Amino acid sequence: MDSSRDTAELQKLLEQEKSRAMLNELVNKLTSVCWDKCVGTPGSKFSSSETACLSNCAQRYLETSALIVRRFTSMQQ
Amino acid sequence: MDPFSSSSGANVSQPSPEAVIEQVQRHLAEAYAEELFNTVRDKCFMKCVTKPSSSLSGSESSCISRCVDRYMEATGIISRAVFNSIPREY
Repeated sequence: MDSSRDTAELQKLLEQEKSRAMLNELVNKLTSVCWDKCVGTPGSKFSSSETACLSNCAQRYLETSALIVRRFTSMQQ
Repeated sequence: MDPFSSSSGANVSQPSPEAVIEQVQRHLAEAYAEELFNTVRDKCFMKCVTKPSSSLSGSESSCISRCVDRYMEATGIISRAVFNSIPREY
């Protein structure tokens, strides 16, 4: 009977979609937050400082996230 | 006509994993497009229409156009920064 193999396959594919969706959501949220921090009045292109700010913002946000995880972890010891 | 019927004509009442995933992906894409639209609209209204008057001026309209382009560009910049931060082993 194929149905249990199908179920396992479906489970695997759903996990992949879930990961992809979570990554998408992270990018969306980061773009929103970093846009507010980095972009002034929209011009016909970004200035180099706006581009750098956006890229830095994303990286610093991820580092902040990791730092907070470590902090919570150490609080539990 | 059941869109999930297998072409072999076997008595399949369950859709295939691939068909289910395709539906999931379509729904996610729709939700994503709607969220993006709402976000861009709110951000660009905030940036470009500072003093709402009786109509959208030419400069407000071009600001909004530029804003949409810039927001899509920002999404790309952020996306690349995020993907470059993912460790290899993840």
